[in-house]
Amino acid sequence: MAASLATRIAEQHAAAAASLPGDVVSGERRRSAIETLAVEGLPTTRDENWKYANLRPLDKVRFAPLAGAGAATAGSLPGVTPADLPAAVKDYARYVFVDGVFVPSLSAAVGKNGITVSTHRDSRADTLPSAAALAAMGRPARAATGGSASAAATLDAPATVHSTPASVGRPASATAGPGASPVVSALTAVGAPAKNDARFALLNDAFATDGATIKVAANTDCPTCIELVFVAQVESQTASSYPRVDLHVEANARVGLIERHVSVGSGANFVNAAVRVDIARGATVNHYLVQESGAKAVWFNTLSAILAQDAVYKLHAVSVGGLSARSTINVQLAGERADASVSMASLGDRQQIQDAFVLVEHVAPRARSTQTFRGIAAGRARVAFNGMVVVRKDAQGTDSQQSLRGLLAGPDAEIDVRPQLEIYTDDVRCAHGATAGKLDDNMLFYLLSRGIDPATAQRLLKWAFLEDVVAKIEVPELRRQIEHSLAGQMQEAAELKELL
Amino acid sequence: MLKIENLQVSVDGKKIVNGLDLEVKAGEVHAIMGPNGSGKSTLAYALAGRPGYEITGGKVTFEGRDLLALAPDERAHEGVFLGFQYPVEIPGVNNVYLLKAALNAARKHRGLPEVDAFEFLTLVREKMKVMNMDESFLSRGVNEGFSGGEKKRNEILQMLMLEPRLAILDETDSGLDIDALKVVANGVNTLRAPERSVVLVTHYQRLLDYIVPDFVHVLVRGRIARSGDKSLALELEKRGYDWISEEAA
Repeated sequence: MAASLATRIAEQHAAAAASLPGDVVSGERRRSAIETLAVEGLPTTRDENWKYANLRPLDKVRFAPLAGAGAATAGSLPGVTPADLPAAVKDYARYVFVDGVFVPSLSAAVGKNGITVSTHRDSRADTLPSAAALAAMGRPARAATGGSASAAATLDAPATVHSTPASVGRPASATAGPGASPVVSALTAVGAPAKNDARFALLNDAFATDGATIKVAANTDCPTCIELVFVAQVESQTASSYPRVDLHVEANARVGLIERHVSVGSGANFVNAAVRVDIARGATVNHYLVQESGAKAVWFNTLSAILAQDAVYKLHAVSVGGLSARSTINVQLAGERADASVSMASLGDRQQIQDAFVLVEHVAPRARSTQTFRGIAAGRARVAFNGMVVVRKDAQGTDSQQSLRGLLAGPDAEIDVRPQLEIYTDDVRCAHGATAGKLDDNMLFYLLSRGIDPATAQRLLKWAFLEDVVAKIEVPELRRQIEHSLAGQMQEAAELKELL
Repeated sequence: MLKIENLQVSVDGKKIVNGLDLEVKAGEVHAIMGPNGSGKSTLAYALAGRPGYEITGGKVTFEGRDLLALAPDERAHEGVFLGFQYPVEIPGVNNVYLLKAALNAARKHRGLPEVDAFEFLTLVREKMKVMNMDESFLSRGVNEGFSGGEKKRNEILQMLMLEPRLAILDETDSGLDIDALKVVANGVNTLRAPERSVVLVTHYQRLLDYIVPDFVHVLVRGRIARSGDKSLALELEKRGYDWISEEAA
C-alpha cells in the first residue's frame, strides 16, 4: 500500500510540479522530498508510532493542491469572509491562509519592529486592513458539531505506571477500550533509536503552495504577536491543502504565536501542515496550536522545534476537530538548559480519531522537558497519545516529566496513552505517569452527595479533567474561545456556561 | 425525622452493618462511636447512598419517605448531607462553582429560581467568616491541595451553605488541631435548630466537648451495643470500647 501511495504521490507531483511556486519550496527540494518518500514510503499502521493513526483516508486523497490554489486565486477573493473566522485575539496580528494560500484581504500585518512575516503572496503592510477593523468583523469561534455524548463509562479501572528515575529504554503504555482492561504493559525492548519522523512534512515540501516565514530579531519582545489562521474550505472529498510555517526566533527574543486550523463548511478535505520552530539562545516561544477542523476533515500536522541553549518553548495544543487528526511533534533540546513543555488536550467523539505522537529529544545537558496530555474519548472515538522521551548520552542532568491521562466517556470509545523513555546516560531524572480509565467514582459520588445530578456531575468532571491543560493557556481570550469550543464539542455549552 | 430499622449493609459481599436500629428526632444531636471496623462509616455512606454499599435488609425512613429508594443527589435535595471523612479533591472544579451548583440544585428541587450572584457571594462570605476561611479559597479547586483541616472546614462550609435537615458528619474531627476543632464545632453549632438533626460519627470524646450530643451510641460489629447520654462518651474515654464489645459478644 505504501509503495503504491508513494508512486501515486510522485505521479501527481510530476503533473503539478510546473504550477507549484518555487519561492515557497524550491523545485529541487520538492523533488528531493518526493524521492525520499519513494524510498521510505508513507507511514502505515504497522509502524510502531503510527498504529493509532487513521491512514486509510489517504487512499482517496488527491495530493496535488486544487488547481489554482497555488497561483491563480491571486486577485480573486476566496469564499471566506471574516465572519467565517474565529474571533480575533487582542494584540495578535492575524494572517489568514485559505486552503494553504495567504489571503491579504482577511489579514492584518504585524506592526512590531523586529518581526518580519513573509508569504509567497507578499504581505505588504499598506495593503492590509488594521487588526482593529478585523477584530470588529470577527465573531466567536464556532462550536464543532457533535453526536450524542455518552453517559458514564462503565468500563475499566484506571491504571497507572510510574517510574522514577528510569533506566535505559523503558516504554510503557496504558490502554483502555472495548473489551480490554487498561493495560500497562511491561516495559518492552526498544529497537532502533527514535528519529524524527517527518514524512508528512516531506509531503508538505512537495506540494506546499504558500506559507508564512516569520523572523524574530534578537531581543525583540513580542509576547502577544502573531496569529496564523489556516482555513480549509475546499469541499471536494479529495482536495488537499498544505499549511506551512517557518518560525525563526533569534537570541533572547520572546514571541507568542497562535496557530489555528479551522474549516468553512463541513467539507472533507486533507490538510497536511508542516511547522518548523527554531529558537536561538535565550529566546522564548509560546505556541498555541488549536485544531478545530470540520467534522469530515483529515488533518495531519508535523511540528519540529529545535531549542538552543537556555531557549524556552511552550506548546499548548488543543485538538477537537476533524474526522481523523494526527499530530507528529518533534522537539529537540539541542542547547544546554533548554526548557520545553508540550501540553495537549484532545477530545474525540462519534467516529473521530485524535492521534498524537510526541518525541522530545534531550541532546544537550541539563535541559528540562515536560509533557502533559489529557484526552477524552466519547462515542466510538479513539484518542491516542504516544509520548516519547529520548535522552542522548551527552544529556547529563536531564529533567523530564510526563503526565499522560486518558478518560473513557463511552463504552465504545478507546483511549491509548503511551509513555516511552529511552535513556542513554546515567545522570537523569525522568518521571512518567500514565492513566487510562473512566471518571473517578469518588469524585462522582462527592458531587452527587452535594445534590448535583449525575449528568451534570459527569460533565463537570470531564471538564475539570481537560482544565488541567486548558487552564495553562495564558491568553485569556484564546482560553475562553477554546473553552467554548470544548464545551460545544462536549455538547454541553449551556450547562457549562457558568464555568466559562 | 430519621428512622432506621434493622438495617443491614454489605460491602464487597461482607456484612458490615448488621441489624442496626436508630431513631433521630428533629433537633437532636446523636453521636455514633465505636471501635475501628464497627461499621460507623459504612452506616454514614449507606445513608448517603454511596454505590457499592449494598443494602441487604431493613429500612430507613426520612421525614416519612423511604430514603433508600432515593438516588444520592435526591437524598441531598431532601436535606441529607454527608460530611466526608476524606473529602475528595477535584482539581479543575472551583469551590465557588461547586457551592453554587449545589445550592442551585437544592433550590431547583424546591421550585425556587437560581440564586442571585450578589446574594450568593454575600452568603458565601458570611459563612466563610464563620469557618475562618480566606477569600482566596473560593477560586481554588475543590479541596485541591488543602490541608486536612482545610478540607474539614470546607465540608462544614458546604453544610452551612446547604442548610441540611440531617447532617451526617463522618469523623469530621479527625486530623484537626484544637483550634480547627473549635472552628468546626462552632460551624456545626450555628446550624443547630429545632428542625435540624445531626449525626456525628467520631472516635473520640473530644469533639463532644464542643458539640454536646443528646444521645451517644456505641456501635459494635454493625449494631448499636449501648446507648446513653453524653456521660457514656466520658465513660468510653476512660474505659475504652473493650468492655462494651465483651458485653455485646
